[in-house]
Amino acid sequence: MALKEIQTTCAYCGAGCQIIFQVDEAANKIVKATPAKGRTNEGTLCLKGRYGWDYLNDPGILTKRLKNPMIRKNGELVEVSWEEAIAFTAENLNRIKAKYGPDSIMVTGCARGPGNEANYIVQKFARACIGTNNIDHCARVCHGPSVAGLLYSLGEGAMSLGVHEIEDAEVIFNIGYNSAESHPIVHRRLIKAKQKGATIICADPRVIETAKMADLHLQLKGGGNLALVNAMANVMYTEGLMDENFIAEHTEGFAEFAEVIQKYTPEFAETICKVPAEDIRKAARIYAGSKHSVILWGMGVTQFGQAVDVVKGCANLAMMTGNFGRWATGVGPVRGQNNVQGACDMGVLPNNYPGYQPVTSPEAKAKFEKAWGVELSDKVGIQLTRVPQHVLGIEDPEKKLHAYYIFGEDPGQSDPHLEELRETLDELDFVVVQDIFMNKTIQHADVVLPGTAWGEHDGVYTCCDRGFQRIRKVLEPTGNVKPDWQILCELSTAMGYPMSYNNTEEIWNELIDLCPNFAGATYEKLDKLGCIQWPCRDKSMEDKGTSFLHKDGVFAHPNGKGKFYATEWRPPIEKESEEYPLSFCTVREVGHYSVRTMSGNCRALRGMEDEPGWIQMSIEDCKALGIKTGELVKVINERGWCMTRALATERVAKGATYMTYQWWIGACNELTVGANLDPIAGTPEFKYCSCRVEKIADQAWAEKYLLTEYRELREKMGVKCIGEQKVGGVKAPAVKGGN
Amino acid sequence: MNRYVKANPELCMGCRTCLAGCAVAHAGENFFYGDPDSFDFNPKLHMVKTLKLSTPIHCKHCESPACMAACINGCITIQNGVVLLDQEECIGCKACMTACPFGAIDMVTLTEVRLDSGEPKIVANKCDLCHGIEGGPVCVDVCLTGALTLVEEEDLNDMLERRRVEAARALDAAIFE
Repeated sequence: MALKEIQTTCAYCGAGCQIIFQVDEAANKIVKATPAKGRTNEGTLCLKGRYGWDYLNDPGILTKRLKNPMIRKNGELVEVSWEEAIAFTAENLNRIKAKYGPDSIMVTGCARGPGNEANYIVQKFARACIGTNNIDHCARVCHGPSVAGLLYSLGEGAMSLGVHEIEDAEVIFNIGYNSAESHPIVHRRLIKAKQKGATIICADPRVIETAKMADLHLQLKGGGNLALVNAMANVMYTEGLMDENFIAEHTEGFAEFAEVIQKYTPEFAETICKVPAEDIRKAARIYAGSKHSVILWGMGVTQFGQAVDVVKGCANLAMMTGNFGRWATGVGPVRGQNNVQGACDMGVLPNNYPGYQPVTSPEAKAKFEKAWGVELSDKVGIQLTRVPQHVLGIEDPEKKLHAYYIFGEDPGQSDPHLEELRETLDELDFVVVQDIFMNKTIQHADVVLPGTAWGEHDGVYTCCDRGFQRIRKVLEPTGNVKPDWQILCELSTAMGYPMSYNNTEEIWNELIDLCPNFAGATYEKLDKLGCIQWPCRDKSMEDKGTSFLHKDGVFAHPNGKGKFYATEWRPPIEKESEEYPLSFCTVREVGHYSVRTMSGNCRALRGMEDEPGWIQMSIEDCKALGIKTGELVKVINERGWCMTRALATERVAKGATYMTYQWWIGACNELTVGANLDPIAGTPEFKYCSCRVEKIADQAWAEKYLLTEYRELREKMGVKCIGEQKVGGVKAPAVKGGN
Repeated sequence: MNRYVKANPELCMGCRTCLAGCAVAHAGENFFYGDPDSFDFNPKLHMVKTLKLSTPIHCKHCESPACMAACINGCITIQNGVVLLDQEECIGCKACMTACPFGAIDMVTLTEVRLDSGEPKIVANKCDLCHGIEGGPVCVDVCLTGALTLVEEEDLNDMLERRRVEAARALDAAIFE
């Protein structure tokens, strides 16, 4: 058996790990995955990277792989030829466009498997073929506020430093970011930093792994982020812990900012975020005490109704202390999905062309019109999270959305307030899903177009710290599937805007020449260097990319200055009540990814954790409700309910609960709020609402319900269920801690 | 002296890659291609998370194992410095599980092995230091922070030497301060 070794980038999370696959080409089988020495992963992999690839051989654990195009006929999805599927989709989209205009169609990109080239093509399809800027993707439900906030403050909406620099930081202020669960490979750098002597401040309502090793844990109450960062700025201001030269030379708007933060004394902030004033002072002094301070954040900052303001608040702290433009210094919104940075880079955003060039800029518009040979719209498009509002909330048929082209997303599982989302999908005239697995959203689709998965196509991903890296075809796809960019090109051609490419490199070459910051990152150079962090502007081998941004304090705004901004704190929209006395927050767990269509179809990952997941609660609350760890419970609020297992842990404060969003029976997004979107970024408040947890007296009934429901859902997803329904997951919940 | 795997909680992030690695390694070669419901997925180490600590708990491969003394069937033996449990001979009496002071032994169901009654067989399960598995212990190999180490007799001797020198230096400092 001759084995071939192929190196590629991992398809899970934004850490951008390099994996070497040993492949038996004759049998079209992966034999083994081992870590390669990538820039970020340095020869290590987490459990997803190491054992999370067997979904490629379609084991049918959770859902069936899509292998043929399908059209819904008489209520049932029926397999059809590609010709029929493309013609049917083109005809319907053209009909809707002709009747209601291009802005009646919404399109998504995909931050997961497809890669940058397919994302470039999907936004080109939306803008040039359909004629709308209604193009967005799941960054909207995660780091949208980081992109918007940092574009405002610094002119560049990405991590200002590289993952590899984190271990050299002297101070790490970690807020709303659980790296051990989200990016184990990044957490490894935090551990290394600690070993090298860094001081770690962790602001998080739970005792997460980072809190455990932190020198100072600010166990704030959810929703208090802005009060905390404003108060830290207040302390730096009143105690004179600022870099006044940096502020004077490299920033603007400081006076107005200083005015707003006056009110946020540590004592005042304590009343909001519940962190002792003295600890806020300590944190500010530690942070301001180094020129190698790094701020890291994740969904704990961005998934609130007030999120962009907190991102700007973090940038304020770094600007006040001159913590930019050097090695191991700056700000790090650590992007969650493998290519969510890339989908943003490619302009899968309603306000930006590729390379963050605004659709409202006449120069950018003219440039892309010339390149694509059509007139483009200068109207900013609809954000993905505002789709329900544009379908259910508008009466006038001329103004509402009529079609939704969903490429590689599963809003029927991932978006807040799922009942409303299902209503939205059913209300739309025409829903197309282009994906690799059966999922919740497909249950409402009119057309299904099957794409190739990661491992079955070539391309480039951008990892969380702006690093372009190649992905390579490892296996030949089976089934009647096509690469995503090819499907979109065929559809575009059928709709009257011909697009045609021979391979992903051709697409890449077209797009990098339209984006000055990416222009130097050719395939040839990527193959040679392995990873290139943008900006990389020159095609010569001398330009190897950029590890950290804003060198010498020069920010990416036209005048080179960073912008201060401060505003008043706003509370989350839904408070705990007598009927729903607990707070409810959605979080991540390391062994599963996103909506779980990939990780849930992997033997080992299913073996580690399976339905219906856990609700993490304080020991006191569990005691008061008479609930033991491992028991099935009902979680309820006015929007919906789900069933899950209780997990009593010391790591959670009394009155708070936490669930992960990938489960079907334990589908926590039945409960989350869809209404309180961040006013700028449109990101939902996944991190705060209220709920009630109910004990289920008849546990035998509940266990049976779980198995029956699970089996039914699997069958709906095309899996042939033989024998007993099994539920995986490592046993011994008594020692399962609060992760 | 028996070998054992030691965990350093300062490096552990509780990600359980070690547990997954263990279960995959012990599930057999066809794991990634067989019927997903036909294999057993039973890690032989356990993650414990308390308020301030995350760490996997393994068998310590004791020199006078309480589990071995408790086993009435002679299923537990010491071979080449490893305390091994023979699941084929195990009758599932739980004596070893209750005897182990570290909670390192649990009971697991073997899906593919059926009793005469048709019920799947339940047996004791413990760390075997990847006996017979190439490149083991797998948990040590896959840990992404190097939190796990295989401790051999000479490592313990080195540690003792180091500690003794440190103790002597401390004494030295105390006297001549």
